[in-house]
Amino acid sequence: MNKVTFIIAEKSYVIRTGLIKIINGFPETSVIKEITDAGKLKKIVNNNKPDILIINSKLLDDAHEDIREMFSEKMKTKFVIFVGTKRESEHFSYFDEKISVDDNKEEIIKKLQTIITSKLPEKHKADSVELSEREKEVVKQIALGKTNKEIADLLFISVHTVITHRKNITRKLDIKTVSGITVYAILNNIIDIDEAV
Amino acid sequence: MIISKDTKLAEVIHHNYQLIPIIYRFKIKFGFGDGTVEQICKKNNINTEFFIEIVNLFHNEDYYSTDKLQSFPLKYTVNYLLKSHQYFNRVKLPLIEKLIHELFWEDASNKKNKDILNKFFVQYRKEVIEHTTNEEKEVYPFILEIEKCYSENKTDDLCISKLKHKSVKDYQESHDELNSALLDLKNIIIKYLPPADNSDIIERILTEIFRLEKDMADHTRIENTVLIPVAYKMENELRKKIK
Repeated sequence: MNKVTFIIAEKSYVIRTGLIKIINGFPETSVIKEITDAGKLKKIVNNNKPDILIINSKLLDDAHEDIREMFSEKMKTKFVIFVGTKRESEHFSYFDEKISVDDNKEEIIKKLQTIITSKLPEKHKADSVELSEREKEVVKQIALGKTNKEIADLLFISVHTVITHRKNITRKLDIKTVSGITVYAILNNIIDIDEAV
Repeated sequence: MIISKDTKLAEVIHHNYQLIPIIYRFKIKFGFGDGTVEQICKKNNINTEFFIEIVNLFHNEDYYSTDKLQSFPLKYTVNYLLKSHQYFNRVKLPLIEKLIHELFWEDASNKKNKDILNKFFVQYRKEVIEHTTNEEKEVYPFILEIEKCYSENKTDDLCISKLKHKSVKDYQESHDELNSALLDLKNIIIKYLPPADNSDIIERILTEIFRLEKDMADHTRIENTVLIPVAYKMENELRKKIK
């Protein structure tokens, strides 16, 4: 499953642990990195391109600066500022959402839910379970025990293309192993049980 | 909750029932009374400190460190890992296989669904047995020999000859394949298998797979963060001495 990814930039262990616990309560999320040091922020965020970055205002030098300018332009990351008091949050106009340590349970859950939900459609789209006809053909050949080279020759495509198809099949079906793909193929009548190796 | 020597063992189980198989692995039998961890460990001839590290590691997986576990003789760890192999191979995997046999579909797909799941699982069991047998016959004995040479400060011919052909590093084998197979099985059952007519069995199979997965992940973690690094360090020290 494609999950909505978070990076949390926050010095305090107590607050980090609390945020992670709340985020993990949403089933389709995953906290991929924790940052405690402002110096590493740019590199880690650019390398990991999270869907959502939550950052404590103490880790930023200038409240009025557009945080997007710190990172690579291609990122579709949503930025959430974490502030000490609600009053402080008035400064951070460039952020998609503001969370305060004073927020009550309902407020923080509603804010997180909204921002997670805004990221879900693209995740679900990437998850699409429908295999293309070509991918079904590749599933069939994998289940028959063919190697990448054999599949490439049979379908007049390059080995590289076969590998791309296999990656997409694994992503769409959430099945990695050859025996798993074989089970899928038999259950969906793509091959007969007697044909499987 | 951090489990200490003064925690009541019964409380430990109430707090996290996933620890039931871990207790079993130390051969503690239920009906153990109202004793603390320390009292019950003593009665059962178990090293209390080691027991505490293992249960905490399993229970507090996000933050409990393996530092202390690294300081125990490796034979303790190996012994624990052997017990969990036995548990996987003799208890859990046969149970899941038996449950798969009990599945039932009223329509014509019955035989096909059962056959294909069974075939997948038998293959998986075979791979687990191959993997664990290799560890029991090759990896663990080699590591214990390294430890013996190291702790007795021996650099005699026997130890030297052992290190000539093998290294602990060769055994940093990946468990990814075995993991992926369990994940696949979960997804097949959750998403793709036609609904069985005795869906209570499906529920039991899934529950067992999730438990097994956690247990196995923990097993791998002990190997990768305790057994292999400690043995590798000993091996390197030995190699320095031999030179």
